[in-house]
Amino acid sequence: MPLLACRRLAFRLAAGAAAALVAVPALAADPAADLVSATAAQAIEIVKTTTGAQRQAAIQQVLQTRFDLPYMAQTALGTHWAKATPEQQARFVKATETAEAKAYAERFGQYSGQTLTVGKTTSRPNGVFIVDSRLNQSNGQPIKLDWEVRQVAGGLRITDVKIEGVSMVMTRRSDFNSYIQQNGGKVQPLIDELESRAAR
Amino acid sequence: MIASVFKVATRVRHSVAAAAVAASLLGGCAVNDTGAAEVWDPIETPNRFIFSINRAVDIMAIRPIAVIYRDWVPEPAQKSVRNLLDNLGEPVVAINEVFQGDPSRAATTMARFLVNSTLGVAGLFDVATMLGLQRTKTDAGQTIGMWAGKGVEPENGGFYLVLPLAGPSNARDATGLMVDYAIDPFQILPIAFNWDFWYYSLPRYGLNVIDYRSRTMFALDDIEKNSVDYYAALRSAYTQNRAELIRAKRDKTDTKSELQRRDNLALVR
Repeated sequence: MPLLACRRLAFRLAAGAAAALVAVPALAADPAADLVSATAAQAIEIVKTTTGAQRQAAIQQVLQTRFDLPYMAQTALGTHWAKATPEQQARFVKATETAEAKAYAERFGQYSGQTLTVGKTTSRPNGVFIVDSRLNQSNGQPIKLDWEVRQVAGGLRITDVKIEGVSMVMTRRSDFNSYIQQNGGKVQPLIDELESRAAR
Repeated sequence: MIASVFKVATRVRHSVAAAAVAASLLGGCAVNDTGAAEVWDPIETPNRFIFSINRAVDIMAIRPIAVIYRDWVPEPAQKSVRNLLDNLGEPVVAINEVFQGDPSRAATTMARFLVNSTLGVAGLFDVATMLGLQRTKTDAGQTIGMWAGKGVEPENGGFYLVLPLAGPSNARDATGLMVDYAIDPFQILPIAFNWDFWYYSLPRYGLNVIDYRSRTMFALDDIEKNSVDYYAALRSAYTQNRAELIRAKRDKTDTKSELQRRDNLALVR
C-alpha cells in the first residue's frame, strides 16, 4: 500500500514537533540528562504562562541559554560556512535563531499535556553525550527523542534534537544546502530569505 | 476509461519495481558510507516535477478532505478505521517479520490478526492490545534494508524517488512497496475472487490516504513552514526516519553500528 511508508515519520514528527520540549522532571544523576530535563521543564512553564510575542521571546531566551546556537547554525550551513564572511555568519546565526524561536513558539501552541521521560545517557569519546528520551502522549505510541549534548566553554549545551531519528540540524542542513545550490552556490540569498521570514 | 488508467498504473508500477530492484543492488555496492552525506538524488528534476503535482493534488483535494475527516469525524470512528486498515495489513507485517528472522514476533502478529478479526469484529476494535499482544509495524523496505550488504548504511536506500500520490520513497522502499503489494493476501484475494473494485479496493485505498494525510498534517505543515526548500527538507527527514527504523532492526544483532555512526557524523561535521 503506498503512503504507508512515510506515515509513521510524519505522524511522529507531528506529535514530536508539537511538544518536543515538554517534560516531567526526571531523577537523572548525570548533568547531560539534567540539562534536558531542566530545558523541558522550563519550556512547559513558558507554554503554560505566556502567549504570543512574549512566548516567542521566552523560548528564544531558552534557546540562547540551553542550546549552542552558533554551533548548530554552523553545522546547518555545512561547507558553506567557511565561504561566508564573518558579517554573513553573524547575520545567519541571528536569522536562524529567530526562525527557531518562532517555530517552537508555534509548535507549543498545540501542547496538550505530553510528558518527557528521560532515559539513559551515552557518552562518546569525542565529548558528545547522547541523551535518550521518550515523549509520552495521551493517545498513541510514545515518540523517541534523542538529544545531543556537548561541553562548551560556558558549560553543557544542547546541539541537536532527533525526533524518531530525524535530526533537526541535519534536516536544516539539507534544506539550506539545496537552497544555496539553487541560488548559484551563494549564501547571501539564503540569509536574505531567512531574514525576510523572521521579519514577517 | 478508468480501468485502462489502472492498467497503465500497474504497468508503470512493474517497471518502477524492476528499476528499483536494479538500483538497490547498485546502491548495495557503496561502502564506507557514513550516512552523513546528502541523499543520493540523481533524478531530482523528475522527482521535483512529481512532487509539485502531488502538492497540487494535495492542496486542492486530499488535504481539505483530511482536515474535514480529522475535525468532524468522531475520534472513536477514526480509531476504528485505523484499526481496520491496520488489521488488513497484519499478514504482510507477519510475513516480513519472518523474513527479518523474528518468527516469534511474526507469531504474535498473526495471533493479533486472528483475535482482532474475530473478537475485534473484523478488526474494528483492537482487542489484541488489551490482551497484551503489542502491535508492531514493519514493511519489506525495512526487510531489504536490514539484509543489505555490511558496508551499506541504512541512509543509503538507492536513489531517492518521489512516487505519484505516495510521496517520498527511494529505490529500496519502492521495491519494498511492490513486494508488500504482491504478498498481501488482501490484494490477492480480491483479484482471485473478483471482488468489486469499487466496494473493496477503492475504499481501502481512499481511507488509507485520508487517514494517513490527517495524521501527517501537523508534521508536514511544520516542515513546509520552517524550510526554505520543502522538497529537500522532506527528502532528508524521510531518509533519516527510514534509516532509524532499519537501524533499530539491525541493532538487535549489532549494537555497535549506531554508536559508530554517531562518531562518524561528528567527524563529518
